Amino acid sequence: MNKFRLNIDGKEVYGLPGQTILEVCRENDIFIPTLCYDERTEIYGACGLCMVEWEGSPKLWKACATEIAPNMVIRTNTKRVFESRKTNLELLLSNHKGDCRPPCMLACPAGTDCQGYVGLIANGQYEEAIKLIRDNIPLPGAIGRVCPHPCEKACRRGLVDEPIAIANLKRFAADTDEFGEDPFVPECEPDTGKNVAVIGGGPYGISMAYFLRQMGHDVTIYEAMPKLGGMLRYGIPEYRLPKEVLDEEIAVLEKMGITMVTNTKIGEDISFEAIKRDFDAVCVGIGAWVSTGVRCKGEDADGVIGGIDFLRKVVRNEKIDLGKNVAIVGGGNTAMDACRTAVRLGADKVYNIYRRTKDEMPADMIEIEEAEEEGVIFLNLTNPLEIISDENGHCRQMVLQVMELGEPDASGRRAPVPVEGKTETIDVDTVILAIGQRVNAEGIDGVELTRKGGIVYDKDTFMTAIPGVFAGGDCGNDKISIAVESIGDAKKSCLVVDAYLRGEEIKYEPNYYVTKKDVTPANSSMQKREKTTSLRLYSAMMKSRQSKKQTAVWNADVKTTLNVSSSAMQICMM
Amino acid sequence: MKVVVGQGSCGIATGAKKTSNEFERIVAEKNLTNVVIDKTGCIGTCYLEPIVDVYNEEGALEARYVKCTPDKVAEIVDEHLIGGKPVEKYVIPTEDEAFLSQQQRIVLRNCGKINPEKIEEYLAVGGYEAARKVITSMTPDQVIEEIKVSGLRGRGGAGFPTWFKWNAIKSNKGAQKYMVCNADEGDPGAFMDRSVLEGDPHSLLEGMIIGGFAAGATEGIIYCRAEYPLAIARLEIAMAQAREKGYLGKNLFGTDFSFDIRIKAGAGAFVCGEETALIASLEGERGMPRLKPPFPAAKGYWKLPTNINNVETYANVAWIIANGGQAFADRGAEKSKGSKVFALAGKIKKGGLVEVPMGMTLREVIYNIGGGIKNDKEFKAVQMGGPSGGCIPAQLIDTPVTYEDINKTGAIVGSGGMIVMDEDTCMVDMARFFLDFTRKESCGKCNYCRIGTKRMLEILERITKGEGKDGDIELLEELAGKIKDGAMCGLGQTAPNPVLTTIRYFRNEYEDHIYNHKCTAKSCKALIHYEITDDCKGCGKCARNCPVNAITGEKKQVHKIDPNVCIKCGKCEDNCAFGAVKRV
Ligand SMILES: Cc1cc2nc3c(=O)[nH]c(=O)nc-3n(C[C@H](O)[C@H](O)[C@H](O)COP(=O)(O)OP(=O)(O)OC[C@H]3O[C@@H](n4cnc5c(N)ncnc54)[C@H](O)[C@@H]3O)c2cc1C
Ligand SMILES: Cc1cc2nc3c(=O)[nH]c(=O)nc-3n(C[C@H](O)[C@H](O)[C@H](O)COP(=O)(O)O)c2cc1C
Ligand code: SF4
Ligand code: SF4
Ligand code: FES
Repeated sequence: MNKFRLNIDGKEVYGLPGQTILEVCRENDIFIPTLCYDERTEIYGACGLCMVEWEGSPKLWKACATEIAPNMVIRTNTKRVFESRKTNLELLLSNHKGDCRPPCMLACPAGTDCQGYVGLIANGQYEEAIKLIRDNIPLPGAIGRVCPHPCEKACRRGLVDEPIAIANLKRFAADTDEFGEDPFVPECEPDTGKNVAVIGGGPYGISMAYFLRQMGHDVTIYEAMPKLGGMLRYGIPEYRLPKEVLDEEIAVLEKMGITMVTNTKIGEDISFEAIKRDFDAVCVGIGAWVSTGVRCKGEDADGVIGGIDFLRKVVRNEKIDLGKNVAIVGGGNTAMDACRTAVRLGADKVYNIYRRTKDEMPADMIEIEEAEEEGVIFLNLTNPLEIISDENGHCRQMVLQVMELGEPDASGRRAPVPVEGKTETIDVDTVILAIGQRVNAEGIDGVELTRKGGIVYDKDTFMTAIPGVFAGGDCGNDKISIAVESIGDAKKSCLVVDAYLRGEEIKYEPNYYVTKKDVTPANSSMQKREKTTSLRLYSAMMKSRQSKKQTAVWNADVKTTLNVSSSAMQICMM
Repeated sequence: MKVVVGQGSCGIATGAKKTSNEFERIVAEKNLTNVVIDKTGCIGTCYLEPIVDVYNEEGALEARYVKCTPDKVAEIVDEHLIGGKPVEKYVIPTEDEAFLSQQQRIVLRNCGKINPEKIEEYLAVGGYEAARKVITSMTPDQVIEEIKVSGLRGRGGAGFPTWFKWNAIKSNKGAQKYMVCNADEGDPGAFMDRSVLEGDPHSLLEGMIIGGFAAGATEGIIYCRAEYPLAIARLEIAMAQAREKGYLGKNLFGTDFSFDIRIKAGAGAFVCGEETALIASLEGERGMPRLKPPFPAAKGYWKLPTNINNVETYANVAWIIANGGQAFADRGAEKSKGSKVFALAGKIKKGGLVEVPMGMTLREVIYNIGGGIKNDKEFKAVQMGGPSGGCIPAQLIDTPVTYEDINKTGAIVGSGGMIVMDEDTCMVDMARFFLDFTRKESCGKCNYCRIGTKRMLEILERITKGEGKDGDIELLEELAGKIKDGAMCGLGQTAPNPVLTTIRYFRNEYEDHIYNHKCTAKSCKALIHYEITDDCKGCGKCARNCPVNAITGEKKQVHKIDPNVCIKCGKCEDNCAFGAVKRV
């Protein structure tokens, strides 16, 4: 058959009679966007995205539907073509009233397809569920247990009665897999010949290793502590996250062929210089391991300890003498962990000192409630003024300034203001300051630091001031947050690191999603429906226990991870 | 004597059936055996319905009674049918006769004259002679040549030369070919096709038979909207009668040419008037257009060669064959031959159906035939071509009605709707009205049409509410251009026309709404309010007519409207005998 000669964007090309403009363009690597075209179906020609100009014709032509003619002159890249496509897409979006992606997924910092795996679990497709989860979350069992689940806050079901138990279902899928016969291990691409050092084995480091390894890179994690897990292991108490779960999940990394070097602190045991020299890229995730103080008088007394330091000692079975009365300062989850750990260590009186009311506490409500149930005495609207020590320099008393709530501040929270002259004094043997954390980047030389000491990285490329050195998680950009946020950093930046290793430069670009903003709560009768979801879920989980090991772990942590009263639990166990 | 009561849908709507029954009752009562009561289709002067024609024994028209409600019947029977003297006061006034006398009727040649349910009456005026001539003595090529000489162009909207389409389907190969009549008539306010279907169905059948012969088709399908039940009923009767006489069915006129026709009732979606959507609907699919090419002439109904013509197009055919293509071409203008039927509506004194030679100016149609603007208000513009067309402003009133000249104004001849607007019509609102129509009728297949018209409509809505923004006019223009570029079928490609033409000729009105928050024509409710001036005599009529009791005032005192209560219905203005209520 005779070929037609035509000119597309100034390029001389040939096509067979009967071929469309689009087909010829595709053969010649000339890009034309399409939405409704699919070679398997009859040409539909409705989306209008494939418009091109045909010289000599006043109108635009649909490339997908227009057959070529001899000596046709086509332009696919004129202003008119671009404008038409652009307005077309704008119109599509302008009419898009639904959600491109579900609110839970958008709320998850790691972009987990919650809707997807919840649906798979509902279908009984547990294996598919864990695979889907593991696309984004390398620590599903741990995250399923400890994540404050922003996804559930966004869950629309909450507008009807209560949110879907997204986090618990993740835990369920993970436990079913990890304690089952043959836990899922992701496949890795063939070796690329590039190696990456990950400094810090917390959620960020673990995730970075997990994602980069799947892309075929050779990954080594350096961890200062004896075991991997970061704050998940050395911060979060056992009763919230059994370390066995973490161990199972770290074992998966090992099976993937990730090298783990523990008890090795970069900057001390090995120099950062050496790491940079020996690896093609470096990812820094050293977390924020320094407790910050309250700057009150007497803060340096004996018996005053940082929150994370206290928790780490407990995890490491180090000797701690709490005494009778313990005061924990702070209103976050670390403070709650410290309070409840202190209760478990047998302290007589455990106080929580927080300068606002419970409503303003950053800690999750469930943690506060459970702490209260366990006997923690909440001294809200108080602030440490002074710590009074005995002759040995050990703290004995704490003077508290009584506060009241003033006008709302910029963040909308009502700022606490001291009630002039009103104080209270309590007896204390130990004071735990769970106020905040800081990054200690000593030894990671050459990176730029924020005023507060965090490692600076570019928001779009996650690269620090040193080329080829990336950072994320708690240690970067003063964003001390939650575990899944660190995982999200890794998820977002792994593509950038991968590109870097291949000699390309790219940026992380979030997808554009349309979201529905006008969803309102269901009417009140619906909201009054009995809140039985957690119970039903628990019951279902118990029935699907697969192994003894699984049951053991579950029994150990079940009460505290599920919002279920003991009596209800009893019923379900039957 | 014969009494003929006009019973098209328009006549029936004004009570023609009752008038007819009344004649029958009284005639029977008085035992007037020489009087026959008959019916006919619409004669065109719809504003005068019910219309009754009285013919003498020789068949000559003795009197045409207009607005002939049942209460006038007894008098007419007594004085005219019995007394022999027409009741002058009910007879059509001479000026109204001008409405008819200035027309040249080809399509409507039999409408309002013959009884559409009697094939004999059609035969009596030479019916089916053209078909006989064609089938027994002409070749398809000769037929097509005759149509070519006539210069007939499609009356369905696009004005495509009919001979060309017939020639195309004739040349295309196919196991079977179809002759389809587009009787979907979806333009709001258009009723040209309905009149023909109801008033002279045989002329359509004959046109289709001739077309079928020329094209080599054996089957005809009339796609008619189900909202035209009377048309469908009369078509069915006509088809049965034609079949009985051997004009439809096997071996027409003793030749081996066979041709039959059936009706397919459509649900009345505007988009189903578009050829490919019509075909999809015929096939039982959802009525959505598809890409052209392939054109129906190559791949139409069941992917076989199919010709689609409008009712009016077909209705011209028998006349052209009977009188010769040249006779048709002698009428009309250079490139737009023959005559065209228009539905005159809106703010016009004499609304109805008119058929005029193409090339007549809009002024002649509107003033000489239509009698000018209602209540002698100022003529502002005329909307031609319905929702696909555009408006033509007063300064262009001398534009001749030809395809080319009307296109130049930005409007189209279209299927023949002419909506006349006076000074009280807000042009922005008018554009909004038509766009609202097309938006609702969009089949939704392509983005530009489905969403683009919606966005444009939203902009127009906010402008008419006084919430327009700087840049809205430009945005409308931009969207309009892109929709025309990007939409797949005629509906979307032409939907912006009313907006574009109103912006072109009445930009000031858009600006008035947006920047001055004023409706130039004082028509947009959100931008006006009602006031009572000192001319108020305190009669209280306005207050009594106000549906929401917004008006208060002592007797013989100037009344007052509470703007918080007023719903701006305008009843007070309509009811005030002293013109004291003003829109501001
Ligand atoms: C008490 C507490 C409770 C928390 N509870 C929750 C919770 O319930 N849910 C939740 O989602 N988040 C919780 N978080 C937050 C969460 O643990 C952190 O956001 C997350 O662990 C941060 O991950 P990361 O990888 O950035 O850092 P980390 O987890 O802090 O890990 C950093 C790792 O780097 C190692 N490291 C540091 N310096 C070096 C070096 N020079 N060389 C080698 N290794 C080094 C450290 O030993 C550590 O293992 C909690 C935090 C605390 C402190
Ligand atoms: C949206 C749309 C609606 C249409 N509606 C009609 C209609 O109701 N009647 C009609 O005859 N043609 C209608 N047409 C035009 C037909 O597609 C077609 O051009 C016409 O029927 C051809 O007949 P003609 O050549 O005799 O004019 C419409 C076109 C479009 C795009
Ligand atoms: S232009 Fe409108 S009516 Fe025509 S196919 Fe597209 S969406 Fe349907
Ligand atoms: S416009 Fe209607 S509602 Fe307003 S005052 Fe007049 S009659 Fe009443
Ligand atoms: S790809 Fe959708 S119209 Fe061509």
